[in-house]
Amino acid sequence: MASGIDLTRECRHVFEQIRKLKQHRYAILSIEDERQIRVECLGVREAGYEDFLADLLRPGQNQCRFAVYDYAYHHQCQGTSSTCLKEKLFLMLWCPSQARIKDKMLYSSSFAVLKRDFVGVQKCIQATELDEACRDAVEEQLRSLDRD
Amino acid sequence: MSGGTMLYGGDEIGALVFDPGHHSLRVGYAQEDSPKAEIPSVVGIGAAPETNLDPETKTDNNATPNNADQRKFYVDTNYVNVPRSQMEVQTYMKDGMIENWDLFEKVIDYAYANVIQSEPEYHPVLFSEASWNVRNNREKLTELMFEKYNVPAFFLVKNAVLAAFSSGRATALVVDSGATHTSAVPVHEGYVLSQAVVKSPLGGDFLSRQCRQHLEKHGIDLSPVYKIASKDVVKERDNARFTLRKLPENLTQSWQNYMLQLMMQDFQMNVLQVLENPYDERVAAQIPTVHYEFPNGYHQDFGSERFKIAESLFDNAMLGAGQLASTSVGMCDADVRLSLFGSVVVTGGNTLLQGFPERLNRDLQLRAPSNTRLKMISANGSVERRFGAWIGGSILASIGTFQQMWISSQEYEEAGKSQVERKCP
Repeated sequence: MASGIDLTRECRHVFEQIRKLKQHRYAILSIEDERQIRVECLGVREAGYEDFLADLLRPGQNQCRFAVYDYAYHHQCQGTSSTCLKEKLFLMLWCPSQARIKDKMLYSSSFAVLKRDFVGVQKCIQATELDEACRDAVEEQLRSLDRD
Repeated sequence: MSGGTMLYGGDEIGALVFDPGHHSLRVGYAQEDSPKAEIPSVVGIGAAPETNLDPETKTDNNATPNNADQRKFYVDTNYVNVPRSQMEVQTYMKDGMIENWDLFEKVIDYAYANVIQSEPEYHPVLFSEASWNVRNNREKLTELMFEKYNVPAFFLVKNAVLAAFSSGRATALVVDSGATHTSAVPVHEGYVLSQAVVKSPLGGDFLSRQCRQHLEKHGIDLSPVYKIASKDVVKERDNARFTLRKLPENLTQSWQNYMLQLMMQDFQMNVLQVLENPYDERVAAQIPTVHYEFPNGYHQDFGSERFKIAESLFDNAMLGAGQLASTSVGMCDADVRLSLFGSVVVTGGNTLLQGFPERLNRDLQLRAPSNTRLKMISANGSVERRFGAWIGGSILASIGTFQQMWISSQEYEEAGKSQVERKCP
């Protein structure tokens, strides 16, 4: 069941820029006029997770957003001493608990379309509080996909 | 205004949202914050046709031409709660689904005439349904709305999905405790995983029965308000002094039970509380007591029994709410289990029982794998908790792009009632 809200072409374009061309670190998306999802802001490749959170929270404590992030971390494979850099894309549904129910409903019922169109995303993360959106929580979820 | 040519719920004319439950049917316009009316899910059925035609009674109008059924029907609190000779009270719901369609139609008729006060053919209708609703029922409802009420468009959504969405989650385990049952429904990306739905008959009505048993055992007189003409102020635990009202003869057992149940609902909402840990006499005894006055004027403090009665929702090895939720998660694919534990949405009127979410959290934590991050989401306000599904439906029906999702009357005419299976998963 979905709301019928669709992505703009720009969203798909930006997603490919992140996924394939690695031009941005992250993108924050918002729903415009209850009609379509558009790109609200982009993070440069050098940006860190703190920059991302700052951008995510900038619109306000009670604003919902979508985000796509190319997350990099070091992973140590079992039985080896070297570590390798892993990059994983995750999608985030950010619905802070103080948000209006209307916004929560709009965003959560439109999340499916992002999952459908953004092929290559490894993890979808839903967050209503900061402790679910913080670096540790996200990294834990991404690492859970790795084998030891 | 021509309603016939309109295919979808436009912005100009409000869609209607109906959320049927065992306790009540919630009705109202989409885009509003709360339902316009909450109509009890029971109908009073008068015995024989009488000549007296009060303006307040709703007679079976000539909608059914072969009028074998000349009984009078009473809908909504103001009419049902009046003592009448030989009036039986009956519900149209069973097991979360609409069962008695004749009575249900009476209530819908009433809703259109008295709550909405507008013609059905101008308003698209969105209904919520139980997650385990069966195909027959869904098609029947679709047929009823299009054929009898000529609605321009119709949609049916599972109430668990609405509850999850309105908490800001596309994937969630929805624990819904209502009047007749408690259920755990996993929702994944906006769809119910129907093979993993688990439910038990322990809900608000069960607690009402427990309260009644307990109070009767202790010899407390349970005279509902309707019996009482006047009462005196008495000291705590003193016998009540009250005079009885003169009542019509032949009050039916079903109506008296219904009134008693209403009284018990008030009692349980005011008095009962769940402990965060399994019931322990010593812990319970230390918590301040709660004072309650019965309609007949008798009043006393309630101590540990407050917790003992409520404990029955949780201490059942098979049917306790915590067990229910963990069983449901266990039946899902391993890769969604973590995200389900990570968003447990608590909804339903019975969860307003003090301490319900906290206790569920504790019980679930015990049963979840040790490294799991458990997260409970429950709306704070009682309105949101009771009307969660309705509010969700109200927003959904008002989203502009959602119009393409409705089953339009044109589609219904082309493909029939089976449309509902295709368009409303």
